[in-house]
Amino acid sequence: MNKLFARQLEKAKTAAGETDLDALRELIVTAYEQSDRDRRRTDRSISLMVEELDQLNRSLERQVADRTATLREREAQLQEQNIRIDAALNNMSQGLAMFDSSARMVICSKPYMTMYGLPPDLIKPGITVSELLRYRLKTGTFAGDPDAYTETLLASTAKGYAVSNIVELPDGRTILVLNHPMANGGWVATHEDITERRRAEKKIAHMARHDSLTDLPNRVLFQERLSEALVDVHRGKRLAVLYLDLDHFKGVNDTLGHLIGDELLKVVAGRLRQCLRDTDTVARFGGDEFAIIQAAAENPRDTAALAARICQELSAPYELTGHAVMVDVSIGIAIAPGDGTEPVELIKNADMALYGAKADGRGTYRFFEPAMDARMKSRRALDLTLRKALAEGQFELHYQPLLNLTDNRITCCEALVRWNHPERGLIQPAEFIPAAEELGLIVPLGEWVMRKACADAATWPDDIKVAVNLSPIQVMSANLMPVVIGALAAAGLPASRLELEITESVLMQNTDATLAALHRLRELGVKISMDDFGTGYSSLSYLRKFPFDKLKIDRCFISGLAEGDDSLAIVRAVTSMARSLGMITTAEGVETEQQLEHVRALGCTEVQGYFISHPKTLEEISRMLVSYSPKQAKTA
Amino acid sequence: MHADQISWAEATGWQGKTNGAAGKANLVLYFGVRQALASGARYEELRAKFPRAHILGCSTGGQIQNDDISDDEIAAVALSFDATQLRLACEPAPHPMQSRTCGEAIGRQLAGDDLAGIFVLSDGLNINGSELVAGITGVVGEKVSLTGGLAGDGARFEETLVGGDCAPRTQLVAAIGFYGKAIRIGHGSAGGWDEFGPRRKITRSKGNVLFELDGEPALDLYERYLGDEAKGLPGTALLFPLRIRDPQQPDNDLVRTVLAVDRDKRSMTFAGDVPEGWTSQLMRGNFDRLAAGAGEAARAASAGINKSSHNGSVAILVSCIGRRLLMGQRTMDELEAAGAEFGPEIPRLGFYSYGEISPHGPSGICQLHNQTMTVTAITEATG
Repeated sequence: MNKLFARQLEKAKTAAGETDLDALRELIVTAYEQSDRDRRRTDRSISLMVEELDQLNRSLERQVADRTATLREREAQLQEQNIRIDAALNNMSQGLAMFDSSARMVICSKPYMTMYGLPPDLIKPGITVSELLRYRLKTGTFAGDPDAYTETLLASTAKGYAVSNIVELPDGRTILVLNHPMANGGWVATHEDITERRRAEKKIAHMARHDSLTDLPNRVLFQERLSEALVDVHRGKRLAVLYLDLDHFKGVNDTLGHLIGDELLKVVAGRLRQCLRDTDTVARFGGDEFAIIQAAAENPRDTAALAARICQELSAPYELTGHAVMVDVSIGIAIAPGDGTEPVELIKNADMALYGAKADGRGTYRFFEPAMDARMKSRRALDLTLRKALAEGQFELHYQPLLNLTDNRITCCEALVRWNHPERGLIQPAEFIPAAEELGLIVPLGEWVMRKACADAATWPDDIKVAVNLSPIQVMSANLMPVVIGALAAAGLPASRLELEITESVLMQNTDATLAALHRLRELGVKISMDDFGTGYSSLSYLRKFPFDKLKIDRCFISGLAEGDDSLAIVRAVTSMARSLGMITTAEGVETEQQLEHVRALGCTEVQGYFISHPKTLEEISRMLVSYSPKQAKTA
Repeated sequence: MHADQISWAEATGWQGKTNGAAGKANLVLYFGVRQALASGARYEELRAKFPRAHILGCSTGGQIQNDDISDDEIAAVALSFDATQLRLACEPAPHPMQSRTCGEAIGRQLAGDDLAGIFVLSDGLNINGSELVAGITGVVGEKVSLTGGLAGDGARFEETLVGGDCAPRTQLVAAIGFYGKAIRIGHGSAGGWDEFGPRRKITRSKGNVLFELDGEPALDLYERYLGDEAKGLPGTALLFPLRIRDPQQPDNDLVRTVLAVDRDKRSMTFAGDVPEGWTSQLMRGNFDRLAAGAGEAARAASAGINKSSHNGSVAILVSCIGRRLLMGQRTMDELEAAGAEFGPEIPRLGFYSYGEISPHGPSGICQLHNQTMTVTAITEATG
C-alpha cells in the first residue's frame, strides 16, 4: 500500500478503531491539492528557470559577441602596432636582433641584415647565434670564434648584464654592438655602424691636440709629451726645451698678407721637422712661436748644435708663391733637470732665454741663466712701480721751445715727460718709455700727457702751440681720437694749437689704419709733424702718403753739419723739398750758434735745442714765453 | 539517564506515563503551538509536575512526536540525568542588532571547564541567528557542542515565544548547559534541497537584510518565482530557500531562510547574514531527497552516541518550517526516515523551526542553518 495512504488511513481512524470516511476524504483531497500545488510550483519554476537561463544565455552570447568584436579590434590595433614597430625597426640607423633564452633569433630588422649582408632565406626566426656567426665568419663580417663568443654572451646575459662591444670588422667598419638582457632570459642586440662617428671623434681628438695650420702638436700635446719625457729626467736623463720665435714675422704678415704668412709657417714647420730626430717633438704654440723637446739631451753641446742648425735652416731664403722671404729665428733653451723639472717651469725659462736671445740681436740662441729670471723679476717690479707712479701723479711735463727763424719768435713748445721718482729724482723718458710701451702702460700715460699738455698750453699766449709725441701704440689705439678731442675740449684749447709728433716707425706698421687715423686728426685742425726725420728706412715714400705739416730733421744731421759729411747735402735737400711741399722744417738738437746760423742758411724754418733752451718746467717756460726776445736767443 | 515522553491536548490535558520518576526529572523540554503556550498555564502545570527540573520550551511551526506531527498539541519529554549537571541561562533578545551580545552573555553564564554541550532555544524573529551562535561559541569555544533552534510561529511569522524556567515569552533566548564526563551528545544536520537556476551575485545587502541580487531587487525575483503564492510571503519564500557561498571558500555554503519582507524597500530579511559579494542560488525541494536528508542527519546524530551502552536516550529533531510548508502531508516521510535511524525504543520529539543550530558537517563549526533537519541525540554513559 502507498505509504501516504496508509498514513491517511491511520490518521482517519476513530477512537473505536473505525475509519472516519469524511476525515479520510479530507486528507486525500488535501494531499491531492498539495501535490497539484507542488507540481504547479515545479512547472512554474522550471519554465521561469528556462526563461532565465535563456536570457542568461542570450546575455552571454551578447557578451561573447562584444568580446569577439573587442578582440578583433585589438587584433587590428596590434597589427597596426606591428606595422609601426616594423617601420620603426626597419628605418632605424641601427640594426636590431632579438634572441630568446636558447640563443635563437626571434626577430631581426632589415638594417641588421643589410649591415652584414645576410640573405633573407638564411636569417629566419629560430636560427641560432652560432649559426649566424658562422655565416658571418665565412663572409668576412665577423672575426673570432663563434662558439666562444656565444658562450660569453650567454653567460653575461644570464647574469643580467648589458654588454657593449666595439667591433672592428675585417672590412674596416667599426660597429658598436649592445646586448641588452630581457626578462625572459633572451636579449636584444643593437648594432650601429659608428665608423664615421669614430673617424670624426678621432679627428676632433687630433684637432684638440694639434695645430690646424701646420698639423704640429699644439701646446696641450706638447705639455703632455713634456710630462711624459720628464719621467725619464726623474730617472737621471736630461732633456732640452727650445722656445723659438721668428724674427720680424709680423712684418711678413703685414706686408705680404696672412696667406703668405701662413705658408711661411708651414714651410718653417717642415724645416723644423727635418732638423729633429723621431724621438724629439716640435710644437707650434700659436703665432710665430714654436717649441721643441729634445729628448736625451745629455750634452748641452748637442742642444747648441741643434739650435745652431735650426737658426741656419730657418734663415735660408723662402720662396713663397712668387715672393722671396727671409726670416731669422731666435731660440731660448732650458735644460731639465738643471733649469726645472716641471713642464710649466721649463717652458717659462726657455721663454725667458728666448727674450735674452732677442735682446742679443735676434737670429741666435741663448741658454737660460738664472739672471734672466732676475731681470724678468725686475721688469715686473718696474711694471708695478710705473703703475703706482701713474696713479700717484709722479710724472710731470717739461717743455722745450721751438724758435721760428723768420721772426725769431717762439712758436711752439714740445712737451717732454719726466718721471719724478720719490727716491731717484727725475728720470729721463729713455729709461721708462720702452718699458711702458712693452707693459701696455703707454696708452694711459699718453692720455695723461695729452690732457696735461693741452691744459698747460691753454695758459700760454694764443700764438704758442704745444707739441706732443705719440708712440706707435697710441696711434694704433682706437682710443686716440676721443683722447685728443677730450683733452682739447677739457682745456678749451683750439685744435690748431696742438701739434702731434710721430716717428717713421708709426707709418711702418698697419699703414692704412694709421693713415686714416692721422687724416681724421688733421681734419680736426691738429698739426701733424714727422719726428726724427731721416733716421728711418724709406723716409721719402712716407711723405707721399701723408701731407705732414712739419718735418723735424733728426739731430744727427745737425751735429754732422760741422763734420763735412753728407749731412749738409741731406739737410739742404730736405729743406728744399719741404719748402716745395709747403711743409715747415725744424732742425733738432741745435746746440751752438754756428749750427743755428748754418741751418738758417740752409733754409730751415725752425730750430730746437739746447742753444735755444733746455727743457723747462711749466713755471719756467711760462715765464720765458712772456719775457723771451730774439736777442736773448742769440745770447743764450 | 531516563526519558519520559508526555503530551498535552486541549481535549485530554497532559498524557503519558512518568513511572513515578517525575520527582527525579531534572530537565523538561516542551514544544507547542504559540496559542497553546501563550497563557503560561501549561508551564505552570509542568512546573507543578516536575518541581526539580529546568523547564525549557518554545513555540513552533508544528511539533514532532516520534513519527507524527501535530499543530495543536504540546510535545514534551522529562529527562532524569544520573551524573550530568545542568545549568540554565536566559537572556533577553530585544533586537537582531544585539544578537551577538546576547549570545556572549549566554556563553558567559554557561562557560565552565566541564561544559560538554549546550542546547539553545531562541526567539525566532527578533534575532540574527548567525550572530547569536557566534556570540556563544566566541565565549565557550568551538569544541563545545552547540545545538538547538529558533522558535516558530506556524506560517504566520508574527510572534515567537521561548521559556526557560518561566512562562514562554517573546524576545528571549534560553539555553541549557550539560556538564560532566557522562553526557554524550550526537548531532547531525542535513538539507537535501536541490540548487536550480542561475547563480546570482549578492550585489546589495546589509547584515541579514538582502536588497539586490545581480542588481535586481531580491523580492522581485521571489515574487516572480512564487506567482500566486507570493501572497503568502514571507512564509512562502521558504519554498525557495537561498543557498549562499563565499567565493573565497566555495565549499563552505549556507542555506538561508526568510524571516520577513519589506514590500516598499523591496528587501528581504533572513535568519542569518547574507554578505555582499557572495554568490547565491535558489533551491527547490524534492520530497524524497528531503526525506533522505533527514535520515542522513539522524544517522550522524545516532552515530554520536553509543546506543548499546546507554540506559536511556532521547533524540531532539529541529526541522525547518520551510520543509513542512513544501511537503505538506509528506512531511512525515522525513520524520519516518529519521525515526528509522534510532529505532522505536528511543523517544523522539522536536519542532518545526525558523532556524536550526548545529555544527556544520565537514567543518564542525557551529552555525545557524536554515531549511535543514537538525538532530541532537542525548544520552549518558553508564557507570
